[in-house]
Amino acid sequence: MRLLIVEDEQKTGDYLKQGLSEAGFLVSLARTGLDGHHLAMTEEFDLLILDVMLPDVDGWRILQSIRESGQKTPVLFLSARDNVDDRVKGLELGADDYLVKPFAFVEVLARVRTLLRRGQAPAIVDQLQIGDLILDIPRRRVTRQGKKVNLSHKEFCLLELLVRRQGEVLTRSLIASQVWDMNFDSDTNVIDVAIRRLRKKVDEGFDVKLIHTIRGMGYTLDLEHNDD
Amino acid sequence: MTSRSRRPLSLTLRVLFFVATAFGVSLAVISQLLLSSIEHHFIEQDAGEINVMVNSIKKALHQSPTDTLKNQEALSQAISGHHGVYYQVERNGVVHYSSSDIDFRPPTTDFPVVKNITASTMQTWRNKDRGYRGIVTLITIDKNQYRITSAIDRDFHQGFLKKFTQSVALILFGAGILTLFAAWLGVHQGLKPLRGLSDQVDFIQTDKLDSRLDMHSVPVELKPLVQSFNHMLTRIEEGFIRLSYFSADIAHELRTPLTNIVTQTQVGLSKERRAEDYQELLYSNLEDMERLSKMVSDMLWLAKSENGLITPTFGPINLQQEVQSLFDFFEALAEDTHITLAISGDASNISGDRELLRRALTNLLSNAIRHTPAGKTIHVTLVDTDNDMVSISVTNEGSTILTEHLECIFDRFYRVDPSRQRHGDGTGLGLAIVRTIVEAHKGVIHAQSNSHSTTFTIHLPVDGLSH
Repeated sequence: MRLLIVEDEQKTGDYLKQGLSEAGFLVSLARTGLDGHHLAMTEEFDLLILDVMLPDVDGWRILQSIRESGQKTPVLFLSARDNVDDRVKGLELGADDYLVKPFAFVEVLARVRTLLRRGQAPAIVDQLQIGDLILDIPRRRVTRQGKKVNLSHKEFCLLELLVRRQGEVLTRSLIASQVWDMNFDSDTNVIDVAIRRLRKKVDEGFDVKLIHTIRGMGYTLDLEHNDD
Repeated sequence: MTSRSRRPLSLTLRVLFFVATAFGVSLAVISQLLLSSIEHHFIEQDAGEINVMVNSIKKALHQSPTDTLKNQEALSQAISGHHGVYYQVERNGVVHYSSSDIDFRPPTTDFPVVKNITASTMQTWRNKDRGYRGIVTLITIDKNQYRITSAIDRDFHQGFLKKFTQSVALILFGAGILTLFAAWLGVHQGLKPLRGLSDQVDFIQTDKLDSRLDMHSVPVELKPLVQSFNHMLTRIEEGFIRLSYFSADIAHELRTPLTNIVTQTQVGLSKERRAEDYQELLYSNLEDMERLSKMVSDMLWLAKSENGLITPTFGPINLQQEVQSLFDFFEALAEDTHITLAISGDASNISGDRELLRRALTNLLSNAIRHTPAGKTIHVTLVDTDNDMVSISVTNEGSTILTEHLECIFDRFYRVDPSRQRHGDGTGLGLAIVRTIVEAHKGVIHAQSNSHSTTFTIHLPVDGLSH
């Protein structure tokens, strides 16, 4: 997967490139709007990450120009401007997502993956499986090594989210908004407690641990992971 | 300078203009009345004199009605001793006698014949550049009809009136100037307390916000102004004090994690370490930085909402449902800390911003959970109160909050115990955010505490904005 980042802020550009490269993407980085525009028009990318405020050609114009040329490459805007009008403008111009600075890297990663997954037909599955853990979606039943795991409704939703986004680091705020519809940062450690309880039910007594804490960032569910 | 042209007229000019107009109009009316009453007096005087005149003429005509010469002689004697009086007698349409060779006939020919001589029946006319006032009367003696025109010279009285008018105008002008000066002096003196106030206000600096304007040294009209100004000063002073505390609090709250980050990093870099140590250092820094980041975004949120940049999007809200879904959210935490969450009562659906109210209630509930000992219960009570309001109370059993703290508990970074560090979670802005959200819904929030429980109660209008 090839990504293009157009970002004039040196540190931000560098750490985005590093982080995304380490996550397995092939990343090109342009430091000016002109370079970014040129690259976007001449090479094939699977996703563009555009800063809005750029010294010469701004993000809006790059997006406008590539959309006019007929390209449908998904575009993720990064901007320090967080008012609704700017978001709406970005999305109306044809951006696929809009992330406000400062952002957590794991969130960029999550959104990039979501955008790349979009377009591929979502698999309608009745059953999710990872290792010996099986989720029966319609019956909302979970088994591990054939043994039934008793989960509450919300615990099931939480596990389903983790399984569906296997390998991704999910931040607390993302979990809160996806599972409990809490779209703000709350002061509580509710998510940690919920994960701990889920982990007890899913992982306790099994050799292979599935749920992992990524310290300082969030949680992930994967078969292999060096837990912190 | 353009703003100057739009400024309303100065107070002095307004008062002077008003006084001048009122004084001018009333003096004009008074002098007009005076002049017309003098004129009326003259007319009555003239009527009396003409009455006497006409009687004398009639008497003379009766003396020798047949002898024309004797008759004319008697007429010439009739009004001896009167000055400025004229008369003309026609017998059967022919001039019979005329004093001082005046023929009044062209102007008076059509005059009505008068029986009663009063001020109102008098006529005025001009004859050969002189003005007259008089009447025409008829008398029949021995089949001879006499038409008597008697008149008095008006010019003498008119001259007097003219001079009198001039003097009155002069007096009025002088009096007008004097009155305006007096009015100006009055206004100038009257505004003296205002200038005094202005001096007092000048004296107030940001370090003297506790000073108040002296209410007793101003006239009663200025009292409301001084009162409002003093109230404004009180509000500014409170805001100013709060702001200074707030700045100090921000500095303190930001300094703690920053100091951690700087010190840890410096110590970490002071010598070569194992990779795990660096990792540990970065994790620790990350935690502090996330705390900073959360605090900054909460402060930004509060600042925005104070500047009206966060406006609630109103929609119908079922409070029972909302509280229930919040209970779902807190379920794990509550079970973990052995706290029971209970909801009671029912309230009408209200109009509000779901996201914001959720945030407010989440803050209240997490606050309650934090301060409730294991094994106790948190009660959320929904009640419809009077005046289309609903109340949402969150009561937790646990330690008491003293009254002096309750008043400030919604202030940013307020600590119940100043010496104690804040609990690990929370930025100290949670309750301030709750109050801001409640106020954005035109509601009120208050806290009360007794020996075994603490209750936060939110009162919200059912229809969102009407209260």
